Amino acid sequence: MSVTMLERKTAPQSLRGERESGEQHVAQDVDATLATRYRESLRSFLADGSEASLSRGYELARQALVDDCGVLELAEIHHLALRRLSAESPPDARTLRAAGDFFAECLAPFEMSHRGAQEGARALRHLNEVLEGELRRVAQVLHDEAGQLLASVHIAVADIASELPPKQRGRFKMVGGLLTQIEAGLRNLSHEWRPTVLDNLGLLPALEFLGEQIARRTGIGVSVIGDDGARLPTTVESALYRIVQEALNNAVKHAAAGSVHIELRRLPAGVRCSIRDNGKGFDANRQPQGLGLTGIRERVSTLGGALRIITGPLNGTTIQADIPLGD
Amino acid sequence: MGRPAFRTMQEVCVPVSSGHDLVTARREGRDMAVQLGFSACEATLVATAITELVRNIFIYACQGEIYLSMANEGAKSGMTVIAVDQGPRIADIDLAAQVGYSAAGGIALGLSGIKRIMDEFAITSECGRGTAVTVTKWRRR
Repeated sequence: MSVTMLERKTAPQSLRGERESGEQHVAQDVDATLATRYRESLRSFLADGSEASLSRGYELARQALVDDCGVLELAEIHHLALRRLSAESPPDARTLRAAGDFFAECLAPFEMSHRGAQEGARALRHLNEVLEGELRRVAQVLHDEAGQLLASVHIAVADIASELPPKQRGRFKMVGGLLTQIEAGLRNLSHEWRPTVLDNLGLLPALEFLGEQIARRTGIGVSVIGDDGARLPTTVESALYRIVQEALNNAVKHAAAGSVHIELRRLPAGVRCSIRDNGKGFDANRQPQGLGLTGIRERVSTLGGALRIITGPLNGTTIQADIPLGD
Repeated sequence: MGRPAFRTMQEVCVPVSSGHDLVTARREGRDMAVQLGFSACEATLVATAITELVRNIFIYACQGEIYLSMANEGAKSGMTVIAVDQGPRIADIDLAAQVGYSAAGGIALGLSGIKRIMDEFAITSECGRGTAVTVTKWRRR
């Protein structure tokens, strides 16, 4: 024998008949079958006060959670059920207390899920830190070891070239030129992945440095202003740096922006970073795929922050990330 | 309604093989939690843990037992719930702890959910000797 499993939601059409006059105003998306079952379980618990009735309530709520019912939706269902039962027979204090116990029982699966979500967010933050650490390590190796090796090769090539007749020297010079390009490419890559200036000097100087690099590489105008206050927590600095990097990428690649303005401001209990471009914007209702906005959103939500995106066709785009500080 | 197999001052054992037994185990667990001085809210979480443990027994085996007992460790006191079943050995314990997680589509119920509402969690599984999941909740001091 197995634990009582509740049936899945039935099709909405079959529910309408069950919806009774007192519940006309139940929001369309409230599952009326769930509401009816909840009310009947509550009714039986109020009548017998048994553990069996509580157990049914738990199973009902557990399945509701699996079926994507929200906690406020469940509260609404409880409220309506209690109102309906109260209309049938006015409840005394004991009954009201029992109804509260039943509701608490039904919230237990949501409590577990809530704790799971908190744990997930913590794990995600940790994962981000680990990734940043890895990136820093790779960037360092790229910069230090690969950079030095290339420099040695460069010198060796130049040495050999100097001993050759002028005609062949020209071809070695070309090799030297290519090596210089590779060196510059590697340096840029390692700076972008993990700019030492972010570790050493902080977010604002790092953003200024990033802005300069992007401006030099792409020709767009990048301005950076902000409060040069105390250092922020490493996770916040890293996240905001990546957010600006992604937003700049978007401005260059997708928005064809001519200029980007980056602003970093302290809030009473947090920090606000906004990136405004004068590019072509996009229809906020039909968010284009692959714009890196998902990544930005993830980073912001991992830190418990809020993200605003203000845009419209031909209106440019402003991305504003507010990150709370202090826990 | 089912009855415990035995009850001593310190320990209650409820064999579980049906939904009725689940209800018995929950009732015994909630009563004990309240007697030990847990708040109603904490007692609800104990009942929740028992429910998920019994569900877990029904996933891996047809029957098992729930042992409820007082727990003491230094200055801490609380309650321990042990779920035992004779089902096939759980090959990958870490994976099993995620069963609720995958089965409920990432909602984190099941064993992984129990971990979060109780203070201690241990699972042992031996070939031929079934599986025991031990969880403890300490009283807030």
